[in-house]
Amino acid sequence: MEWPQKIVALLKANDICSISFVPDTVIGRILLAAKEDPGFQFTTLAREEEGIGIITGEYLGGRRGVLMMQGAGLGNCVNALASLAVPYQIPFLMVISQRGELGEFNACHVVMGKALRRILEALGIQHYTVNREDELETVLGGATKTAYTSEQPVAVILTPSLVGWKDEK
Amino acid sequence: MINRLEATRYLVAQLSDEPIVASCGNPKFDLFTAAGGRKANFYMWNSMGMASSIGLGLAMARPDRKVIVLDGDGAILMNLNSLTTEASKAPPNLIHIIWDNAQYQITGGQPTHTGGKADIETMARGAGFTQALTVDTLDAFKEALSRMLIQPGPWILVAKTDSSEAPGRPPKSPVQIKHRFMEALRETE
Repeated sequence: MEWPQKIVALLKANDICSISFVPDTVIGRILLAAKEDPGFQFTTLAREEEGIGIITGEYLGGRRGVLMMQGAGLGNCVNALASLAVPYQIPFLMVISQRGELGEFNACHVVMGKALRRILEALGIQHYTVNREDELETVLGGATKTAYTSEQPVAVILTPSLVGWKDEK
Repeated sequence: MINRLEATRYLVAQLSDEPIVASCGNPKFDLFTAAGGRKANFYMWNSMGMASSIGLGLAMARPDRKVIVLDGDGAILMNLNSLTTEASKAPPNLIHIIWDNAQYQITGGQPTHTGGKADIETMARGAGFTQALTVDTLDAFKEALSRMLIQPGPWILVAKTDSSEAPGRPPKSPVQIKHRFMEALRETE
């Protein structure tokens, strides 16, 4: 299994059956792998913040959802995390594909790349980084368990070391 | 013009234990005033705009229950893109009511764009809703509601309301609100 299939298998093992997403090329690979399994539901978001609300509603109704987005999308989620998910104690996993670190060709991704973890920390949200495929089970599986134990959102950041970077000059 | 509290009281009287998600601002105050003892009420203390998205997620997770969203014009204008997601997912059990008094009432009555050129029903249709209505009398509200509670949705109902005070205040603990609401939903599984 490659990393997209491993992520999908870990979601399934944790009863996470609903994926809300704004795609990028990395998230797109996970979605392709998940579409092989008829057990997943997919919700395309017009803006990442919607995902915080949708996953909250799903959780209240007894269903587990995951939010998948690029790091830029975290910026669109800040108030919904701060004023809904964290104070109401809504557990879920955020799978974040990181831009703006290794191999970045676009200056407009670099600032959010640097701010990503500090924004999560300012919100009091735990985050874990995956650099290698063999870390996935421990990090993504472990982060999921911690999210539901603590009843809080938890972020897992996928870096270019794991997923590669865009080959543009 | 519709009195929001009167319409809220009428709405809850037509329901049994269907979940209601009430937006921050006055929709949640009036829901609490109308039916504070009702366990299946979810009161939002902030996250302006998220009521529509919470309602969508809940409607998808619980297709066996009608899910009612009580939104405001200012709040839906802040999350207009959610109309496109609701319309695309189109859960038939979703009833999205928007109290539209054309103002940010809770902050002192500053006008919203629905008092000018913006029309929420038109935007909802543009987003893909095929069932969207606007009402401005209590009788029309009652008639629309009776259809929405019987016929499959998703529905958008824009109700033009006045700006009467909303004195009720629900409990302030988010965790308490969550647990009570989830318990109500589990009881109807």
